[in-house]
Amino acid sequence: MKRHSWMRKQQWAGYAFILPNMVGILLFFIIPALFSFGLMFTNYQFANPNVSFTGLDNLKRMFQDDQFYRAIKHTGIFLLSVPVSLVLAFLVALVLNRSVYLKGLLRGMFFLPYISSGVAVAFVWMLLFQPSHGPINEALRWIGIASPPGWFADSDTAMYAIDIVQVWFMLGYNMIIYLAALQEVSAEQMEAATIDGAGKGTITWKIVWPLVSPTTFLLLVTGLIMTMKSFAIIQAITQGGPSGSTTILSLYVYKTAFSYYEMGYASTVSWFLFAVILVITIVQWIGQKRWVHY
Amino acid sequence: MRKSKWWMASMSVVLTAGLLAGCGSNGDAKEGGASSPSGSSESSGNSGSSGSKTKLTLWGAVPAEAGPQAVIDAWNSENPDIEVEYLRYVNDDGGNLKLDTALMTGQDADLFISYSLTRLQKRVDAGVALDLSAKADYDIDAQMGPDAALWKIDGKYYGMPTKKNMSFIWLNKQMLDDAGLPVPPLDWTWDDLKAYAVKLKKDNVYGLLQHDSSYTATLDGTIAGLGDTNAEGKSNFNNELWKSHLQTLHDMMFVDKSTPEYGEQLTSKMPVDTMFLKGEAAMLSAGEFIFRNANNLAEFPHDFQIAFATVPRVTADQKDFKYPGGLGDALSVNAKSKNQDAAWKFAKWYADGGMLPMASGGRLPSSKSVSSDEAIKLLLQGVENMYDVDSLNKVVFGSFESFQLSIPQQVIDARKEEYEKYFLNKQDLDTTLANMAKRHEEFIK
Amino acid sequence: MNPTAGLSKSRLLVTVLMLVAGAFMIVPFLWMISTSFQSASEVFSRWLPSKLDWSNHKRIWTGNYNFVPYYMNSLKVSLISTAGAVFLSAFAAYGFARVEFKGRNTLFLVYLSMMMIPPQVIFVPKFIMFNWMNIYNTHWALILPGMFSIFGVFMLRQFFMGVPREITESAFLDGAGHFKIFFRLILPLAKPALATFAIIDFSWHWNDYENALVFLTSPKLYTIPLGLQNFILENNVDYNGMMAASSAAIVPMIAIFLLGQKYIIQGIASSAVKG
Repeated sequence: MKRHSWMRKQQWAGYAFILPNMVGILLFFIIPALFSFGLMFTNYQFANPNVSFTGLDNLKRMFQDDQFYRAIKHTGIFLLSVPVSLVLAFLVALVLNRSVYLKGLLRGMFFLPYISSGVAVAFVWMLLFQPSHGPINEALRWIGIASPPGWFADSDTAMYAIDIVQVWFMLGYNMIIYLAALQEVSAEQMEAATIDGAGKGTITWKIVWPLVSPTTFLLLVTGLIMTMKSFAIIQAITQGGPSGSTTILSLYVYKTAFSYYEMGYASTVSWFLFAVILVITIVQWIGQKRWVHY
Repeated sequence: MRKSKWWMASMSVVLTAGLLAGCGSNGDAKEGGASSPSGSSESSGNSGSSGSKTKLTLWGAVPAEAGPQAVIDAWNSENPDIEVEYLRYVNDDGGNLKLDTALMTGQDADLFISYSLTRLQKRVDAGVALDLSAKADYDIDAQMGPDAALWKIDGKYYGMPTKKNMSFIWLNKQMLDDAGLPVPPLDWTWDDLKAYAVKLKKDNVYGLLQHDSSYTATLDGTIAGLGDTNAEGKSNFNNELWKSHLQTLHDMMFVDKSTPEYGEQLTSKMPVDTMFLKGEAAMLSAGEFIFRNANNLAEFPHDFQIAFATVPRVTADQKDFKYPGGLGDALSVNAKSKNQDAAWKFAKWYADGGMLPMASGGRLPSSKSVSSDEAIKLLLQGVENMYDVDSLNKVVFGSFESFQLSIPQQVIDARKEEYEKYFLNKQDLDTTLANMAKRHEEFIK
Repeated sequence: MNPTAGLSKSRLLVTVLMLVAGAFMIVPFLWMISTSFQSASEVFSRWLPSKLDWSNHKRIWTGNYNFVPYYMNSLKVSLISTAGAVFLSAFAAYGFARVEFKGRNTLFLVYLSMMMIPPQVIFVPKFIMFNWMNIYNTHWALILPGMFSIFGVFMLRQFFMGVPREITESAFLDGAGHFKIFFRLILPLAKPALATFAIIDFSWHWNDYENALVFLTSPKLYTIPLGLQNFILENNVDYNGMMAASSAAIVPMIAIFLLGQKYIIQGIASSAVKG
């Protein structure tokens, strides 16, 4: 990275640019977060005025909680959807950026899942994955798989079926951000490479991929964060079942907080979740020097 | 050129937003502020005593058009000095959270209806439910009968159970007749039901369907009789009756194939009530809310009579089985409300007949001040001949020893996870019962 | 690479393949439309309605289900929040991307870390704060927090960093200040990114159910996601009505997408960079 000395001039301007946003972040994120950090050490039940300090009881409970460990495992499986969706979205964005007709229509079609009604999404995927007569299993039987998986009806496969839906759901979102990034890749750069005799594959991996690496970094970091936090798809399709096999950590927090009203314990699990994502993010932040080119 | 176009676009977005903000600012004004609509109606309504009008908000989970709107319209025309507004919340985790949040602020929620004892318990803990047994002018025990006492918390009433709860087996009378089966007796068992289901199932007709809300009716009624824990404080969840019942259901799914396999029911999102009314199932285990669709012959056309049976006991010699039902819809007054007297006045009126417009949807009042004939007439108006009168009277309007479920949600969820494993053939029956008991004990520890 | 070279066979083939894949993406959307035209007893039993039943679409605009106020509320909340979020995020993103001040990276990581907190656990303190600020049960409880997007700051920072430094450096040497560079150079260059962020941010506000559920209690303030709850009856769901309302609810989203797309396509690639 070349040093640009001018960027270090007028440092006050940096603070000035960030200040308006900082006020909101402080008010709506940092202060509530500190409050929730405090709840970790209490037995606070939502709406119940009787609160007492319980020290590290919640932490102890968490480390003995089978459901907590189970939720971590499911969260791990859920996170697999992030890199898969990223790579697919990059390829789709490449194709839709140049080498098709009807670009506008196709982009709209691929983005549509991201804004579709969750109820409709849940219902249609239930039908597609229906074990006995759903189209996916019919197709699998047709190509010779005698006993295809039960998908949502089987606690061993439900989490992977959720992954598939999540990849499908996030594809359009990742795609349009990649599309925006591809606009920064100039036609001149591409043409120069073509004249140099580089093949399509080489151009893609040697030129385009590095050029969009800041976007990949963004999507990877925020994708992991958002996927860890989000459970809308799961809530709509399986509600964490069957027999808890799709309860990821964030859904467990949600149930603990809003169904059981155990806010103190929910805070504890959340802060664990927070610590995990923070470590992952810092590792990525340090690692970005190797592959992200600004 | 491009630049100016871009700025035009963003400016127009900001301007539109600003305009909309201006339009909506009236709606933003909080209560007590000078919001014009309520102010004007007040001055035109009762010009003599402006400012003395009390406004109450009632929170309930029944959609407004299914009765509550008619109830409060009637009240508002009879009582010009107390205006009640109905606010509907969805009775799920989110909806209850919304209600509990509103209750904490003490405004915009003067009266509220809880639909389970565990939810009411939380509101009592939070100090937002008024002790109604302290009121001298209304005797809940006398008005609502012995089942009301199941709603007592620490010996006190924090809500009036205003409605009769009901859960039973709906029967397609035509199919019973075709199979030569009589309407089952009141004391039938799951073995009897299993035999019925086998005889009634056909190619595209299930013997039995169960609505989600009734899936655990037998488990709950059994444990209510046995008690959650035994004398040593150990969990009673590994009892023989549950074992037998779960085994029966499992056999019906996988051996008889007279009821949908569990995974099938989960993943097909089966609309069981519609399927029953379309003749795709001979028996349906569900609550009284089916009446609303069953009475609606235009949207759910069917030409068979419906008969009723009780939720079966597990074995013929099961002694203290409690029937699902009893009373429900516990109406409470918010202890933080500024208008508690007006709210209490409304509550008494509601329980003693004000709620009648909801009877057509299956909500029969529990208060003895309401003539049950009138409620039944409202329920069956115009569709009398669609029901088998004899079993209707015995089952729907019969009286059975009942219970209110007081098992905490955490335990209910754990129990569900375990029986799901059994129904999905991931775990054998003995392990399932052992795990249920184990997780129950972990919770009560 | 030349788009004007007539119909190419390989291009046509790719288009057809992508259309097939695209069809797979829109099945739920089609199901939504189809269900909105079915009658109550048909739901879940067939893919296409037996006859077009317009009554669901009619009833969401009249009577008990009147969606007009929900629509206006949603538009108001989403537009103001999105407009605010785009401007405020772009502002802060420039600070993080183009000014090197002390503690920049640490501060940025603090920012990012705030994105990691599950919303469920900060809801109680937020509720207490809103009550105290007197904005509980007003649209401001959605709009004010909605104007601050950490994702927006991060995303736009990444894009601003991708703008060649030489462009801004020469402007700086010519005596332009940071503010001038931001408004005159960076913002116009980052149109695709701004438009993309606007689309995504709008979709989040438009579909935001949790905040609206908790922080709004008066029905006259309800947004569309709360209005859709009307179709959840006591023990079952009115899917026809819900899907009719959902079909109507998706229209503004599509409009915003089409509007924003224009700015995504006409990016900086061909125009401004070298000019």
